[in-house]
Amino acid sequence: MTLTERTEQPAGTRRPALRLRGIRKAYGPVVACDAVDLTVHTGEIHGLLGENGAGKSTLMKILLGLVPRDDGLILHHGRPVAIASPHEAMALGLGMVHQHFSLIGPLTVWENVILGDSGRIDRAEACAQVETIGKRYGLPVDPTTRVDRLSAGERQRVELIKCLRRDPSVLILDEPTSVLTQAESAELFTVLRRLVQTEERAVILISHKLAEITTATDRVTVLRRGRVVFEARTRQTSPQELARQMVGREVSLRAEGAALGLGALPVDGPEGTAAAEPATAPDPAVPATPTTTSEPAALRLRDVTVTVGGITVLDQLNLDVRAGEIVGLYGVEGNGQATLGDLLCGLVVPAAGTVELAGAPVDLTRPGALHRAGLGIVPEDRHRSGVVLDMSVAENLAMKSLGDVSGRMLLSRRKMHAVAQRLAAEFNIVTPSMDTPVRSLSGGNQQRVVLAREMSANPAVLVAAQPTRGLDVGAIEDMYQRLNRAAADGVAVLLISTELEEVMALASRIAVISAGRITGVLPTREATAERLGMLVGGVTG
Amino acid sequence: MSMSDNISTILASGIRLSLPLAFAACGEYLAERAGTLNISIEGMMLGAAFASIATASMTGSASVGLLAGAVVGLLIGVVHGNLSHRIEINTFVVGLVINALVLGLTSYLITISEFDTHQVAQVGIPVLRDIPIVGEALFVGRWPAFLILAIVPLTWWLVERSRWGLELRAVGENAQAADVTGIKVNKRRRQALMWCGVLAGLGGAYLAVGEVGSFNQNMTAGRGYLVIAAVIFGAWRLKRTLVGCALFGLADAMRLALPALGVTLNSQLLIVAPYLLALLTMLLFAAQHREPRSLGQPFERGTA
Repeated sequence: MTLTERTEQPAGTRRPALRLRGIRKAYGPVVACDAVDLTVHTGEIHGLLGENGAGKSTLMKILLGLVPRDDGLILHHGRPVAIASPHEAMALGLGMVHQHFSLIGPLTVWENVILGDSGRIDRAEACAQVETIGKRYGLPVDPTTRVDRLSAGERQRVELIKCLRRDPSVLILDEPTSVLTQAESAELFTVLRRLVQTEERAVILISHKLAEITTATDRVTVLRRGRVVFEARTRQTSPQELARQMVGREVSLRAEGAALGLGALPVDGPEGTAAAEPATAPDPAVPATPTTTSEPAALRLRDVTVTVGGITVLDQLNLDVRAGEIVGLYGVEGNGQATLGDLLCGLVVPAAGTVELAGAPVDLTRPGALHRAGLGIVPEDRHRSGVVLDMSVAENLAMKSLGDVSGRMLLSRRKMHAVAQRLAAEFNIVTPSMDTPVRSLSGGNQQRVVLAREMSANPAVLVAAQPTRGLDVGAIEDMYQRLNRAAADGVAVLLISTELEEVMALASRIAVISAGRITGVLPTREATAERLGMLVGGVTG
Repeated sequence: MSMSDNISTILASGIRLSLPLAFAACGEYLAERAGTLNISIEGMMLGAAFASIATASMTGSASVGLLAGAVVGLLIGVVHGNLSHRIEINTFVVGLVINALVLGLTSYLITISEFDTHQVAQVGIPVLRDIPIVGEALFVGRWPAFLILAIVPLTWWLVERSRWGLELRAVGENAQAADVTGIKVNKRRRQALMWCGVLAGLGGAYLAVGEVGSFNQNMTAGRGYLVIAAVIFGAWRLKRTLVGCALFGLADAMRLALPALGVTLNSQLLIVAPYLLALLTMLLFAAQHREPRSLGQPFERGTA
């Protein structure tokens, strides 16, 4: 509370749209929010910055009436409000665009938009509203399309339209750019700016990307472990300051900086001098491209074609990854990366083509064949194919090598725990005990469980698909170090990522995927925004 | 008997046998669109069949019996809904227990009571009933049969056009997202189950006081499960679900008609015919994954 009052500057004529005072929420012994104060003014974009588990999501759930608070006061335009249900939040004009979209795929755009209203359905009017709002804010979308046929960017537009239609006084966006391309993100921020400038609204932008916070917000509040640790006007602070406040220590701004979106994008300067810059400082841990090309690639995908429901998702894809190098597979989301990840998990069998490990083709129709052949994978959707959420940390860690922890017939809990203890220590997995279900671990720790299990099998090839998505800075830093170390130890690492900075920081070669094909492979130091842009756009050359 | 007479008879009996399925299928369809795979529909139908005959016997009115059947179906829907969508007991377990309970209870009650035969009035539509072959099948029947003409469009309208139906579909497709939007997920599911109970009750009661006129032990004989099969066969679309009901009804009619036509087949074997057909059609149409995505998944606030 003191912090808020101290930093609360004379806001001119602006009045607080929303004031939170001493909000507290505990889940059992875990305190998610502890005496949180937050003041958001009409006419501003307020950044809410924090690592995963800092309490951002819980705070917003409280605001939206999804989670009851234990203590604290919420003032809406100076009036105390209870917010006991999503309905009440809606009635107060608190609208949220969720991180994982809250849209219902099989319903059409207009049906989604009017969901949660009451009264008779008027299809024509709903469609007209979608179009009017779309026009007013520059969010074009066809109201009669089914939502599951839309791209991520379009879905976000629908989410925004859905919120804006209710004329919210406070609009909350939770990690809105995590599924958007850079162009789409820029567009979104333009729309948000227009919202707060021309209309009496406030926007709360939740993000862990510093670049976003610094460019798009007016004020910023940093949460750490459930407490407000910092609050300032955005232009009076710096990314470094924010990073330090968020993590609680100095972040070494290199690879980690890239994770935060600080790394400068390669700019196509004259002669590409500026472009060469970000890549000129190769991490010592990243070995140069191996010179011996005579031995077979550790991982080779040859003419891999996958069709899903009649659509060719991977189209004669060819890719080599050699031992000791990190190859970054970069591209805009939805160009076949997810299917490639599934393929390397063994979940998808290609219609044509082979996957070879150390020169030997793997029979992909046999479950676990890739694992036995020495391929470890950190899958994109760890909840779906990385861990079993309701099983314990120990069980998840032992899952792929049950032979090592069993006697002749039975599983040895003692052995399993010993292995788990060792891996947890080695990979810094923070867990109350080895018997804790993985579900109750933070995202970063869940990811460490996956990585620890995969690395414990001493793989020759490690595939990391969007390994840092949804992780906080500390966990991202850790992941980067481990990938670098794996490569240094001679593992062939394939990094599938949509974050350009991530690929630039880690990979020695960048392969670009577009429409299920590799459109080009470049050494990182030759990768300029323009060349990558062309390849991403499907222009080979 | 001429060939056309035979066809006419089989058609008429097929329709009569489809009707209980069709009533219940409208209910099951709606419950499943809201995300509940309602196993207890068998118990709803059987309980309603018993209640209709018992009430008709007591009051002397078959129509009141029909109403009582719908009420019993509704009650089972309320019980099931509260057990599985309020205190969150696994919906399949609840359904199976209800079915076993209803079967046991009605079997016991029928042994200790005497019921008269009661049947609702038969009506026929003049002129149309004289159309050759189909006239008898389509335009003559016990009066509640004609309710289906209102219930099918009503169900369609409720699901596809009303706000309630939109919310039901949202709940069935993505319960978490629906919750975030401010829809009371479990309340909608309970309501859907209640509606399902009323219609399944009508179906069961129609079987008893409409077609047969009496109650015998386990008289629904798995018709509730056939209804679930019909919804799957229909790929969660109302029109195709009703086609499924008609198919199963016709298969049942063939079973009854074949011996009369002089075809001798093992009658026990023939009893399995509709179920076999249901299994086959489901096999054929299994590839069409159009089921509501939250079907059968319980919803609890704050678990995601």
